[in-house]
Order: sequence, then C-alpha cells, then structure tokens
Amino acid sequence: MPSLAEMQSRIRRAVIDGDTAGMVALLIGGCDPERRLAIHQRHYRSSLVAAIRTKFPATGWLLGTQFLDEAARQFVRQHPPAGPCIAEYGEEFPRFLLTYSGAARVPYLYSFAKLEWHLGRVAVSVERPALAIEAVSTFDINILMDTVLMLQPGLHYLHASWPVDNLMKLYLTDTAPAEYRLAPADVWLELRGSRGEFHIDRLDAAEFVFRAAILDGQSIGAAAERTLDANPGFDVGRAFTTLVHGGHVIGTTSPDRGGKA
Amino acid sequence: MSSNRWVPIGAGVGLRLPHIAEVAATRPSVPWLEIHPENFLANPHATELLLEVRRDYPISVHTVGVSVGSVGGIDHVHLQRVRTLVDMVDPVFVSGHLAWSTHDGEYLNDLLPLPYDEETLRLVAAHIDEVQDSLGRPYLLENPSSYLGFDTSTMSELDFLREVVRRTGCRLLCDVSNVYLSAHNMGYDPYWYIDGLPIGAVGELHLGGFTPEEDEAEPGAQILIDTHAGRIAEPVWELYARAVRRFGAKPTLIEWDNDIPSFAVLLAEARRADEIAGRALAPESRCAVAG
Repeated sequence: MPSLAEMQSRIRRAVIDGDTAGMVALLIGGCDPERRLAIHQRHYRSSLVAAIRTKFPATGWLLGTQFLDEAARQFVRQHPPAGPCIAEYGEEFPRFLLTYSGAARVPYLYSFAKLEWHLGRVAVSVERPALAIEAVSTFDINILMDTVLMLQPGLHYLHASWPVDNLMKLYLTDTAPAEYRLAPADVWLELRGSRGEFHIDRLDAAEFVFRAAILDGQSIGAAAERTLDANPGFDVGRAFTTLVHGGHVIGTTSPDRGGKA
Repeated sequence: MSSNRWVPIGAGVGLRLPHIAEVAATRPSVPWLEIHPENFLANPHATELLLEVRRDYPISVHTVGVSVGSVGGIDHVHLQRVRTLVDMVDPVFVSGHLAWSTHDGEYLNDLLPLPYDEETLRLVAAHIDEVQDSLGRPYLLENPSSYLGFDTSTMSELDFLREVVRRTGCRLLCDVSNVYLSAHNMGYDPYWYIDGLPIGAVGELHLGGFTPEEDEAEPGAQILIDTHAGRIAEPVWELYARAVRRFGAKPTLIEWDNDIPSFAVLLAEARRADEIAGRALAPESRCAVAG
C-alpha cells in the first residue's frame, strides 16, 4: 500500500500530466474510477484556462480566442500555479507566449500581453493620499539626495519596442480598423491605476528611467545618477517636482530620519 | 478564541467580486455574507470595499486554499496572508475543506480527495490544530464533494469527520449539496449521512448548485459535478429540510461561483432557504419527524 505522500504524488501527475499509472487500482467510484479522476483533470485545466482568458482578454482579441485557449492549455500544463491566489496566476504567460508555436508571427505579442497583465494589476490598486507639494519645502536639503520616495502602489513602468499602447487603446475603445499595421518604435510607458480604473501615459526615456528607479526603491540621488549617465541634460529638480505635483509620491524615507514622512 | 461579532441566523449569500461594488453601494437586505479570502488577497480595491461592507454585515471567511490534507504541510505564507485578512475582517466563522490542493510548491486549483485512515487523520488533525492556533479561532471543516474514494480507506468519511472533531475541537460546515452529490456519486443514502454527523459540531450549512453529466462509464447513469453554477436542486432542498430539523437553525449559505447571476437571484435562493428552514422547524413538522 503506497504512503499518503506517494498517493498525492501520483494524483498530482494524473491531474497535471494526465499520467494515471499506478493510480487507478487504488481508487473506487463508479464503474470506471479513471473517468472519475478525469473530472479533477478537467477542472484543473478548465478553471485555469478560464483564469488566463479572464486576465488576457485583449491578448485573446489580438490572437483569436481559440489560439489563446490552446496556448493557455499548454501554459497551465507546464506552469502550475505556485499558490492558491489565482488572481496572481499568469504573470509568466506573456513570456511563455514568446516560445509558443505560432506566436512568432506577432512580434509585439510579448509586450502587448505584458502590458495587459500589468494594467490588470494596477487597476485593482488603491491610491493613497499624495504628499502635498508644501511638504517638500520642509525637506532637509542636505539629505535630499539620500531620500527615498514612496510612490503610489498602482504605478508600473514598462518599456516596449513596439507602440503596444496604441494597440491597447484600439482594443479598449473598440475602434480597430479592418487592417492595422504596427511599426516598431520604442515607447516608455507609465501605467497608473486605482479602484478599477487605469490610464497609460507615454514618458520620454529619461523621465522613464528616473521614475522607474524611484519606484524600484532607489534614492533620489541614485535615480538621478542613473538617469544622468545616459541623459546629461536631465533636469532632476523638475522631474522631482513633477512627480510630487502629479500625486505620485505618498511618502519619503531618509537615512537620517530613519522613518517615514 | 472566537470572534466577538454576533452569529447570524438565516440564509446569507456568497459575496463574489462581480457583486461587491453593488453590495457596497446598495446594502441589500441579507443577514450575512461569506467570502473566499483568496479572491481578496491580491486585490486591494476589493478588500477596501469588503472593509466597507463588513460594517453592516457579519462576514464569514471560507478558504479554498488552506490545504489541510497536504502531506507537504500547510502553506505558511498563504496562511499568514489569510490571517492578516481575518484580523481585518473579524469574521463570524473561518472555514475550509476536508481536501488537499498543494503539492511540492504547486497549487492544483481543485479540492482533491483523501483516503480515510489513521495516517490521514493524524495529518489533517495536526494541520487543523496549526490553522486554529495561527488564526486564534475555531475552524469549521466542510465535508467534501466526492467522485472518488480510496480502496485503502479504513474508515468512513463520517467516522473520519467525527474523529477530527474529537481530536481538534474544530467544528463542521455541513455542505448539504455536497452530501447529496457525494451520496449519489458514491452510492449511499444522503439521509443516513446527515443523521450521522455529530449534531453539536455543525455550525454552518452550505447549499450550492451542481451540474449533472452523463457518466461515460455507465450509459444512462449520471454523475453530479460540484460546479456551483446554478440553482439548488429540489432533492437538495428536501435534504436541507432534514438537516435543519436535525441540527436546528444554523447560518446557511447560498454558494454560486460560476455563471454568476444577478445578486437578486442569490437573494431569492436565500429567501427560499429561510422559508424551508422555517417550515422544517415549525411544531407540526417536528411532530411529523418524531412520528
């Protein structure tokens, strides 16, 4: 008689891989327990394919539902969820599409699917009260460059080599023309969302690098240095005040204060 | 060890994401609501709405991902996240399933069956102890919906549940639809099962829709699939009446997780549950049972 550990290992293989070897003799249920086991296999696949479909409707619009579903079926077989929170499942799906047979004909597919994933994430965020511009005047100028800004939780920065934001707008506004050709062009996107809504803004490359570094937890000085390396004319002061004015900043931490503002 | 919030009487409904904004805005008349924490853990907006809703409704937290039957142990990261939500919501109940769903860091997104023997009993009891210690409240364990059993089982599901309750002090969530469905699929009498559950341990009842499918292995026969995708079947309402007569008036939940209808449809099902419970508890009905 197999141990419980061995039994669960065999059921895992049956559910995900469809391999029922050594399992059926242990089961009871109806005339054919293997068919009963298939109920769990079907549920695993169909529920997760549905989850991918729900998270990537624009990608499905781009590829066609059948193509998306088949890709999702292969994805769920190769990439089982790592945890019970299915809302977090599918982040690797855009990368999986890079290697998926037939997807190469859409060279911007990875970027488009990635944009869609992140829009879904920022849209369920909740904006917090922004730091008032008046608060900036109280900053100690001597430690300003060491200060770390905390940004709104519903922000994400995405660079793409195709203008996938234009394509996404066509999908969202249901205004796709009969034929549309996308030409490669770098875009630096700021995605911002809260309470079920989101918007996409284009940034110039330098602003993007600065804001992405700030979001990554770098101090103002480190983010500025990183930006100035590639863009010597970058105006750090203007970039900082624009961030605050835009309601992006919700707090600060600095080494001397050792706390949050 | 338990919540200070009052235990609701009457039928509540499962609060799913498509309805949460409506419920927050309109505050419909329903005695209580139940959530799956896994729907909220990665959704701050939904959590914000839930915390508004909880001001006016008792909330029950029904986990689908706390895998008390997994040999690999409880997912502590997940349990901690559930605990954080539980601490915020202060629910009237926290419940979950007699099943397993995680294996070596993978989540199988289903409630998978367990053999009923001493090894499984020790494992499940230890995990329920761990969950109750972590959450600081009693856990209600739900009877599974079954398509399969194990040749290696050495005790019945009823004996297994009774022993888990005895060893851990946990309570039971009797899913009446699961009883009906499992009895049909596995070939036993659902009334026998209801009559065998320990009366004092049952703290909550569930009702949900199932989907009949042709049993390919047995032409002409049907197998019932626990889809939560439709109205409650008539024979389940009859079994519910029996459950109410046996366990008394217990908080009852209408579960509907797929092909989710308007909230009004859920409320109508909840009202029907209340009517059936009312009739089942009427004096003449009790005499009829006694006779």
